[in-house]
Amino acid sequence: MTAAAPAAGGTDVIRSPLVASVEGLKVHFGTKGGRIHAVDGVSFDIRDGETLGLVGETGCGKSVTARSFLRLVQSPPGIYAGGRIRFWSSLARRTGADPVDLLSISQDDLLDIRGNRIAMIFQDPGKALNPALSIREQVAEVFYQHRSDDLLYGLADDPPLIIRRAAGQRARGLERLLLKLPPLRGHAAKLRSRVDVHVAEALAETQIANPRKIMDSYPHELSGGMKQRVMIAQALACNPDLLIADEPTTALDVTIQAKILELIRQLQHRHQTSVLYISHDLSLIRQTSDRVAVMYAGRIAEVGDSDAIFSDPLHPYTRGLLAAVPSASHKRGGLAAIEGNVPELVDPPPSCHFHTRCPFAVELCRSLDPELEMVNGHGVACFAHASAEHLGVMPEELPSFAKRTR
Amino acid sequence: MVDISTAPQSPPIPTDGPWAVRTRRFGEVSKQVLRNPTTVAGLVIIVLLLAVAFLAPLLTTPNVPDPYQMPRDWGTRDAPPGTPGHLLGTTSTGGDVLYGVLWGARTSLQLSVIVVSITVTVGVIVGSLAGFIGGRLDEILMRIVDVFLSIPELIFALAIAAVLGPSFTNIIFALSVVFWVKYARIIRGQIIHIKQNDYVDAARVTGDSKFRIYLKDVLPNSITPVMVQATLDMGGIVLTAATLSFIGLAQAGLAEWGVLVSDGQAGISAGKWWASTFPGMMVFLWALAFNLVGDGLRDVLDPRTEGR
Repeated sequence: MTAAAPAAGGTDVIRSPLVASVEGLKVHFGTKGGRIHAVDGVSFDIRDGETLGLVGETGCGKSVTARSFLRLVQSPPGIYAGGRIRFWSSLARRTGADPVDLLSISQDDLLDIRGNRIAMIFQDPGKALNPALSIREQVAEVFYQHRSDDLLYGLADDPPLIIRRAAGQRARGLERLLLKLPPLRGHAAKLRSRVDVHVAEALAETQIANPRKIMDSYPHELSGGMKQRVMIAQALACNPDLLIADEPTTALDVTIQAKILELIRQLQHRHQTSVLYISHDLSLIRQTSDRVAVMYAGRIAEVGDSDAIFSDPLHPYTRGLLAAVPSASHKRGGLAAIEGNVPELVDPPPSCHFHTRCPFAVELCRSLDPELEMVNGHGVACFAHASAEHLGVMPEELPSFAKRTR
Repeated sequence: MVDISTAPQSPPIPTDGPWAVRTRRFGEVSKQVLRNPTTVAGLVIIVLLLAVAFLAPLLTTPNVPDPYQMPRDWGTRDAPPGTPGHLLGTTSTGGDVLYGVLWGARTSLQLSVIVVSITVTVGVIVGSLAGFIGGRLDEILMRIVDVFLSIPELIFALAIAAVLGPSFTNIIFALSVVFWVKYARIIRGQIIHIKQNDYVDAARVTGDSKFRIYLKDVLPNSITPVMVQATLDMGGIVLTAATLSFIGLAQAGLAEWGVLVSDGQAGISAGKWWASTFPGMMVFLWALAFNLVGDGLRDVLDPRTEGR
């Protein structure tokens, strides 16, 4: 089991304050065949203003981990089996208030955090916009949900209750009719034009061409890149403390991909937002992330500064991944694939999940969970880096990278 | 997709405010619908039938005290079409066929509108609860729906109407009891499908409440098959009601096509064809028109589903 998060690493680095801290997160899925341990004790920190890249192959649990931040995992069949995700909002950091545990706060508090303090961008912008609503309505939604006070500010000295309800999108049936009639009509129109200004601003920030015109479009009238910009506008509208980007460019073509990445980076700096970047693409993570966490089969295999991970990978899985990335210096056919497949995660026995594919695995790897331990300033969960003394075994029992066992 | 930044200034689209956007979308759909000639034919027939229904009190002298009851002229029985005062002839009991045909359109319109409103409302509520909330509630509601679906529509409606006694209100009730299950099934399936879309997750991420997500994201994207089915049922319900009243489950003498066909059927073998034929044609036209439009709507709104 991976225990606590790695304590603040190297002595030479001054770490900024925490935004979120995942501690021993476990997400299981109940199926007829048993419990799938999709996320099995994951720990990592996200610090203010940094980009943490969460990388791993399909099915390793990176999306589930990300979705857990906003409790988006469908339950049932999903079960939050343990751990916590502590979150410090910018307000909490300023006032020194205690963090909240995203897994245990009430539904109301959660709704207030979603879209306001933590926002998310999805993989396929084509599917993440409601086809029945105009772009205006979709972006405006965030303001209605979280900024209704701002919308009302200066609108009238004492806005009528019904207008206040309209600003929170709580006006229903008859009220909507009243809003169209003379005494309230002026207020309602003013409110609408204010929302429009906010929406146009949010869209303009994403450098989308002609935001006023885009507002009146429907998703099917926009290109993939434009839709992704709309999603980013929606996500950053409320200045969130943490942006979760779940493979935001996978569905886009390469030229657009570069532009979107650059845009996210710019907006991140302007808004002082931390980003959790999820991808299976190592070269992309290398470009975007300050720190990297490598996930394998529901666990963190290795976590550390981006440079360290890419220049000096410690875990055999990370080494395998990097060897499988093509580069200009590789000659044809020189790529090394990692043998085997991701193991089934149904009720796994204690063991290193990578032992089935690891060329250095020994008996110990098959019977014990490696813990995430600090080596050279970054965390790695591998017995090859563990101390025999600490584990209470003979040094010969530990795996060694000098000795291939298969 | 044209890149707007480099393309020459495109002609201004008349877009001003959400209302204009909505009408534009409605315009797109109706343009597509109107491209199909059979749908247009159906629409024309519907407009004519509605005109008949609305204008019936002007085209004929309403019967007193109850205009929905056929006026009886016992002096002229079995008069052929063309008889002065009885343009389409009379029935064997002296009822004016023209009156029955015109007021029958009114009866049918009322019937179909009432039944469709009731069944769509009930069906959408039940189906939404089952599909959106899911779990145990879904199990319970859908098993109830299964029970209803296990009995053939017509026989079920017939049984209910027969137990309650011959009256048109009972036919409306019987049809409502029978027809809502279809909508519950359709909307449930749609919702379960739509619920898995990323934009529903995206709305959750925005901080929307469940009910708001249902209203804003789930229902509007699930409702089109219901609209199609409702259009088809506008025709089907009149057909079923005509069947029930033909068997005699509506009160005698009602200005309703099924009743009229039933009144005239005894005379057909004797060559008195008019009393059954004209109302029969009306039923046929009504059902045909709504089916044409329903199919046309389906082609536009949900091109992936073929006839159920």
